[in-house]
Amino acid sequence: MSDMLSELKDLGVNVEEGMKRLMNNEALYVKMLGKFLDAVGNSNVMACFESGDLDAAVSKAHNLKGVTGNLSITPLYKGYTDVVALLRAEKPDEARQVLEDLLPVQEKIVECIKK
Amino acid sequence: MKDKLLIVDDMEINRVILAEGFKDHYEILEAEDGYQAVDILGSVTGIAAVLLDLIMPKMDGLEVLRRMNKDGSIVHTPVFIITAADSEELLLQAFNLGAVDVVSKPFMMEFLKCRVGNVVELYRHRNDLEQIVNEQVERLSNLNKSMVETLATLIEFRDCESGEHVKRICGLTGVLMTKVSEMYPEYRLPKAEIDKIVTSSVLHDVGKISIPDSILNKPGRLTKEEYEIMKLHTIKGCEILTQIPNVMDEATYNYSYDICRHHHERYDGKGYPDGLVGDEISIWAQVVSVADVYDALTSPRVYKKAFDHETAVKMIYNGECGTFNPKVLEAFTACIDQYREQIKR
Repeated sequence: MSDMLSELKDLGVNVEEGMKRLMNNEALYVKMLGKFLDAVGNSNVMACFESGDLDAAVSKAHNLKGVTGNLSITPLYKGYTDVVALLRAEKPDEARQVLEDLLPVQEKIVECIKK
Repeated sequence: MKDKLLIVDDMEINRVILAEGFKDHYEILEAEDGYQAVDILGSVTGIAAVLLDLIMPKMDGLEVLRRMNKDGSIVHTPVFIITAADSEELLLQAFNLGAVDVVSKPFMMEFLKCRVGNVVELYRHRNDLEQIVNEQVERLSNLNKSMVETLATLIEFRDCESGEHVKRICGLTGVLMTKVSEMYPEYRLPKAEIDKIVTSSVLHDVGKISIPDSILNKPGRLTKEEYEIMKLHTIKGCEILTQIPNVMDEATYNYSYDICRHHHERYDGKGYPDGLVGDEISIWAQVVSVADVYDALTSPRVYKKAFDHETAVKMIYNGECGTFNPKVLEAFTACIDQYREQIKR
């Protein structure tokens, strides 16, 4: 297993589970992690909070929830699950708080994949 | 040839993951949103299953399901909802729209493959069975029709005619009934019913089998007494039909019975055997009456020569063969040329 993947494991990503979902195709898993970076780039949930567009926030958080779930990026999956649930429960302030706590974790994972 | 699997998700990562899991067993088709999915479903055949995301831009998964309900494809194509959505209401809506199963992201690929495989197998089996049943129903219905036609042809032979009269009556009944149904909303009937009426018209003279040869084939005018006996063919026909109800399905039987009994009724109540007036006579019996009279006039009989078309039409309009429903006559005028073209061929 590559250094990147062991590092991701240390960050809480369930690499084995994610690869299993891709029929243990490690190369494809790494490629999909690259796609995940694009998805993060295209789904700036915080910007939606700042512009007050909560509909966009929930739809982008929902997308990231699905993708992180499928790639077993577990800490982010849990975080976005909470963000989506809180937004649907019309608790935007709490949702934003969860997101603020989540972003540093996401940053570390993104950095690790970028390397 | 591999079955096709349609994967619908706006996120490429999710599509790639699903494609990777299923590509060995299926030809994979991908759609990024509901519009593409509907497009593919409408243009590609042999799609064994659909893996459908619910929340997508442009057109969402529920709308795809609604479209599939509308065009009926949901009946033969299993749809799996693959979603990160956690709203129970949304999932319930998907189930109510005919989704076979809901799988949450993240899913276990091996389980998902088993679930999809099982359902595809089940649907294949069901679709096959449905086709077999349809083929058998069609075979039976053809057999049925030919039995009825055989019966009618036998009777016609006794009447010193070929089976042609029966075939012409069927043809004209079909054309005229269709025209009446098109022209008058109060007489509108679905095509399937008209087809049954056409089949039923075959047996309108079945009762003639009970009429003695001396009357049936008498080369001159019938005496009053003979005519009274001849008129009995309507009632006798019904008696025969009650003995053989299982030769046809219930609807065809009911039409046959009614046509047999009432194809000599007249709109002004001067027909027989029941002297029904106006729309007391069913529209199909009225239609067969006109068809029967036209064909009788334009065919040679032992007691008369054939009249030409123009004379026959004039005689019908002048009421020389009894009074008919003006609306049926109107439709008759509108379609008789089409019918004549048809028999020329």
